[in-house]
Amino acid sequence: MRRTRSVAGRGRQTSEPGTGQHTRPGNPVEVVDAGRQPRARAGRRLRPDRRRRERPGRPRMDPRDMWSEALAGVLARPVRSALTTLGTVLGIGTLVITIGVASTAANQIVGRFDALTATSVAVTVPPPRPGSDGPPLVDWSGVQAVERLAGVVSAAALAESDGTRNVQVRANDVVAPGELTAQTLAVVAAGPTLPAAVRGTMVTGRFYDAGDIARHERVAVLGDQAARLLGIDDVRDAPAVFFRGQSFTVIGVLGGFRREQRLSTSVILPPTTAADRMGLAHVTQVLVNTSLGAARQVARQAPIALSPGKEDALTVVAPPDLSKARKGVQGDVNGLFLVLGFVSLVVGAIGIANVTLVTVMERVGEIGLRRALGASRRQVAGQFLAESTTIGLLGGVIGAALGIVVVVCVAGVKDWTPVLDLRLALGAPPVGAFVGLLAGLYPSLRAARMEPVDALRAPS
Amino acid sequence: MRGHSTAAAPFGKPPDTETVIELRAVCRTFDSDPPVHALRDVDLTVRRGEHLSIVGPSGSGKSTLLNILGLLDRPTSGSYRIDGVPTGALSDLERTALRGSRIGFVFQSFHLLPYRTVDENVMLAEVYRVPRPGRGRRTRAERAREALARVGLGHRIGFQPGRLSGGERQRVAIARALMGEPALLLCDEPTGNLDSENTDSVLALFDELQSQGMTLLVITHDDTVSRRATRRVRIRDGRLGQESA
Repeated sequence: MRRTRSVAGRGRQTSEPGTGQHTRPGNPVEVVDAGRQPRARAGRRLRPDRRRRERPGRPRMDPRDMWSEALAGVLARPVRSALTTLGTVLGIGTLVITIGVASTAANQIVGRFDALTATSVAVTVPPPRPGSDGPPLVDWSGVQAVERLAGVVSAAALAESDGTRNVQVRANDVVAPGELTAQTLAVVAAGPTLPAAVRGTMVTGRFYDAGDIARHERVAVLGDQAARLLGIDDVRDAPAVFFRGQSFTVIGVLGGFRREQRLSTSVILPPTTAADRMGLAHVTQVLVNTSLGAARQVARQAPIALSPGKEDALTVVAPPDLSKARKGVQGDVNGLFLVLGFVSLVVGAIGIANVTLVTVMERVGEIGLRRALGASRRQVAGQFLAESTTIGLLGGVIGAALGIVVVVCVAGVKDWTPVLDLRLALGAPPVGAFVGLLAGLYPSLRAARMEPVDALRAPS
Repeated sequence: MRGHSTAAAPFGKPPDTETVIELRAVCRTFDSDPPVHALRDVDLTVRRGEHLSIVGPSGSGKSTLLNILGLLDRPTSGSYRIDGVPTGALSDLERTALRGSRIGFVFQSFHLLPYRTVDENVMLAEVYRVPRPGRGRRTRAERAREALARVGLGHRIGFQPGRLSGGERQRVAIARALMGEPALLLCDEPTGNLDSENTDSVLALFDELQSQGMTLLVITHDDTVSRRATRRVRIRDGRLGQESA
């Protein structure tokens, strides 16, 4: 339709030379072939002089004028505009609160098990196959190789066996009838670095040292629970414990276990002594503590350091990947509320579309007037789009602000550290504006489609 | 037609710059069943500085003529030049631009935006056009106040339209039309919503504008209004008949 007309128009102009360009002095308005669709214009790119002369023939609007017209339209009915923004405020607010609270909570949860497990690595050594008499997979001195690894804070080797898991231990050698003094405790062997490796402290006395081990001393250290069960609370008078018909001098009590809490109910012997007297010769577990963030690397390297060439035989227990854990928590919390946020955003968009449509219908006269004043369809549509976008933007800003306040309040009440992605705060207003833009599409199309003749009949 | 009619001039000859409107054999038919011939073979020439009134009863084709003159509608056949520019071949966009730059509309119902001040309403005339030299955005408010002063409303600057009388509102609308420096002031029943006192004030303003050289085309059914024109044209059943003032 437009095409045909334009061709016909050009034909007529060539038959009427000069009339098309006719202008009156002081009124330099050109109307030759201006305002074609871009497709039609593209073919004429090669004639820049002509294009330049065409330009005044098109309606033109300063962006500042567009903005001030849209703002005036929004502010003309302030209460209605405020109520219209509510939908977007709720939608954006819900999204910000959901994401913000989730990331805050996730940070909190992850932070909690950071301190405990994120730096703990345990290497389990399988028992030697019966009948094999080769060297053990892991030697007691292998721990020193682990300690040299970058990121290792402390490490200790541990020997346990089924045979020493339940040992009747007594605090004295006198068997009194009717009095049950024997306790069933586990007996383990451990390297001298055990207190650091379990992040414990000596409640009393001292832990055995390399000298005690080298001399095969018959000494023992009790876990704090074991000491209580046995009634030993002081080692200054060198109490003894008896089991399997042998006596061991208690030189200290180890307490405050932060890991391997089971050791608090055990009797801990030097490796040499345990090998001699209890048959606990083989290392079954190596406890490693790493600095934060080094756990995964240490978990990979420790088996190689402990047992070069046979590292595959060892089992490593390493903390879960932190970032994965955080994402997991966020995923759990977010799902439902994200859906809720999107639903309210959609409802908000429908609200904006609805009200903008009503506004368009109320302002038919105004649309006619603007068309009479020289506004093109596109400019009329642009104004209503700008109005709905402004409302959406406003909703986005208010929603983001409210959401952030709520997240901070929730964190404050729960004594958490609020964690908010900056992108979330900065991204919410554009999202709101985009919602407004989408919502305004149909109403502004309706406004643009109105014929000025019909529109002018409506009261302004 | 009178002596200054260009009907005798062959079509296609460049029109002289003193002609603002030139309708040649304009017909407008609405496709309904049966078809409505709202305008039949209308010839009309309006010279610069003329005050022309078009009188006719309702249903005579007044509104259709106004819509065509205001570039709001296209004739079914015939040609229409405004300010020497043939409009038949123009696209919608070009007609819109031409409308914004050459025609000042004055409506029966004023069409003022109720939520904007009087000055803002007047300034609206320049929003949709390329600023002419010396008439930039910065001086717009000043020029709006000048236009208001020109229609005798210098004391109403900053008012909301709702606080003005009908006559004052129509004068604001006229100021808005003048703001665009149009070649033609196209008035559609400008006093239709006004009492006699306000009608007089608006008509006095028309006289004053005409004495300043403005071209006025007033469509009305009111004889007191049409009598003030320098030339009267009667329209009946879509045909124009000359009547001397």
